[in-house]
Amino acid sequence: MTELLKSLCELNAPSGSEANVAEFIKTQIDGFCEYKTDNLGNIIAFKKGKNTSAKKLMVDAHMDEVGIIITYITAEGFLKFKTVGTIDTASLMGKRVKINSEITGVVGSKAVHLISAEEAKKCPEKESLYIDIGAKSKAEAEEIISLGDYGVIDEPFIVSGEKVMSKAIDDRIGCAILIKLLQMTSEYDFYATFTTGEEIGLRGAKTAAYSVNPDSAIILEATTAADIAGVSKENRVCVLGEGAAVSFMDRATVYDRAYYNAALNSGIKCQSKCAVTGGNNSGVVHLNRNGVRTLSISVPCRYIHTASCVADKRDFESALTLSKYMINKICSGSLE
Amino acid sequence: MKEIKELLFSLCERDAVGNVSSAADFAFEILKKYTQAEKADNLTVIGTLKGESEYTLMLDAHIDEVAFVVTDVDDEGFLTVAKCGGIDLRTLPAKRVTVHGKEKVTGVFCSAPPHLSDGETEYSDISKLKIDTLLGGKAKEIISVGDFVTSDTSPASLLSDRVTSKAVDDRAGVVCLLELARRFSGKKLPITVKFAVCDAEELGTRGSKTAAFRINPDEAIAIDVSFGDGPDISKEECGKLSEGAMIGYSPALDGVISKKLTNIAKENGIPAQSEIMGARTGTDADVISVTRQGVRTGLVSIPLRNMHTAAEVVDLKDIKAVCDLLEKYILSGGVMND
Repeated sequence: MTELLKSLCELNAPSGSEANVAEFIKTQIDGFCEYKTDNLGNIIAFKKGKNTSAKKLMVDAHMDEVGIIITYITAEGFLKFKTVGTIDTASLMGKRVKINSEITGVVGSKAVHLISAEEAKKCPEKESLYIDIGAKSKAEAEEIISLGDYGVIDEPFIVSGEKVMSKAIDDRIGCAILIKLLQMTSEYDFYATFTTGEEIGLRGAKTAAYSVNPDSAIILEATTAADIAGVSKENRVCVLGEGAAVSFMDRATVYDRAYYNAALNSGIKCQSKCAVTGGNNSGVVHLNRNGVRTLSISVPCRYIHTASCVADKRDFESALTLSKYMINKICSGSLE
Repeated sequence: MKEIKELLFSLCERDAVGNVSSAADFAFEILKKYTQAEKADNLTVIGTLKGESEYTLMLDAHIDEVAFVVTDVDDEGFLTVAKCGGIDLRTLPAKRVTVHGKEKVTGVFCSAPPHLSDGETEYSDISKLKIDTLLGGKAKEIISVGDFVTSDTSPASLLSDRVTSKAVDDRAGVVCLLELARRFSGKKLPITVKFAVCDAEELGTRGSKTAAFRINPDEAIAIDVSFGDGPDISKEECGKLSEGAMIGYSPALDGVISKKLTNIAKENGIPAQSEIMGARTGTDADVISVTRQGVRTGLVSIPLRNMHTAAEVVDLKDIKAVCDLLEKYILSGGVMND
């Protein structure tokens, strides 16, 4: 799983530029299922199981990651940008970027010697940030950069004991789990959707859910873990190494309680997501057509939406095992 | 330019602060090839090339980088650190670091979880910015209070001859020393040159203070970086990247040296610009000049963007310009006869 996750995380795909991730996923699932790509770039796959499912189930993970998009080139050759998805200003300042997966740049940050004590306390307006690719003029920058080009904060994937650190774990870990589920033999038929545009408003999942028209859905995600120094227990949301996090409610969805309970009572190591924060594709999937019973299984992830997300390998296995268990549980009709 | 780039990358991918010496060790190995080299205080390394005259010019650059030192290791594997040098705290969240414990550990500065930050986070206290070692409870076995922490950022090429890395401040200056040692090696020099790769500039120009005392030079030139241009810096506060060596003019510097450097640049078509400072320079030049009975001191700087961050940007052509300028200057005998 870690090797697969690494390959996925090393691809750069801010919302709107997911094609490379989609191509890679197709090489992984080819021969294990039927699939097609829709107008928004979603992969919609059908996995034939040993048995016909009592419920039409859609298992979803999103392919896109947060990133940047180039909006303007100054006369001096600096690039102005907007974030694609939510990125904290401090995690952009003084960081390395990769544009179009090949051009290196840095987010400029005035020397500490030249800022006032007041200025030093607060992050500047995001709009004041710029990228330096070493160009000396607009013309030089324009030779290799076009407006609308995408970039990411660029950090390598590393493994440290049970932990991994990388960009884009949100939600390549969901993609990795979904690939594994498709590669395995399944007891029941189910649909798998690898979707686009989650970070800019759950866009791909909306049309994918419409096409699949499911009765039930499982959303595979990465979610904020705040189990870090200085954060009290009740604010930690979920904890690395304690298994997949299962949500009862977030800012977009109140989840199906029977599914939630079944996951917690599965005997597989998992935890409740203990806060009503964030949101994911469930927000649009559970409201599809006549409504969809929805479960969210998430891998706890520190420093989410930065290029140094930290997650625990043991939670990947928990999420995979729990997903498999819940597919069978839902598809067998035992949760009616 | 290829040699300069290789030297800079080799120096910048290594570390130097406190007892972390890999960059200083590298500089020592190179200096040994071309000069009579010795290890002086802590990380400070001095190479000597004897000239026809005993008149001694100390060529200074500092090897240390801005960094951190561990002040606490907690049971969950998070570190509290203090700063070694001036650092903009706002650039730290989600920044990767190397912790130099019993073994090297890759960690990351925690970034505030979105649900707990209202977008108004105040950055005024380094002790509130913890480092996640990813080791959990095992951190205490590997990391101790007093261990140093450096930026985990390797050098990379940008367009043309521009590159980015951590620690370009002042590895770019050290490159000049090593490159000049190479150019001068085996050549007849009019004066004796001491190549001083100094420690602890970022903690208050400490290494060059003792190095200058030890060398007791007649003249010194410090090579450091200075502010390069950017959209958020007023033009009078900075030099311009790719426009050559910044020749320092300041009441704390020897005016004859400054003028001679400017003249040599003009005569030889070496790209150069003036950097005028109202008082002290904030570099090793400040302490070298007041060593013992006083030392005639000059300062040549390399324009650098985003100073003291892991996103420093420099133009290799500017480093080369400094090398070319100081090569001519030293071959002319410095200010021995002026």
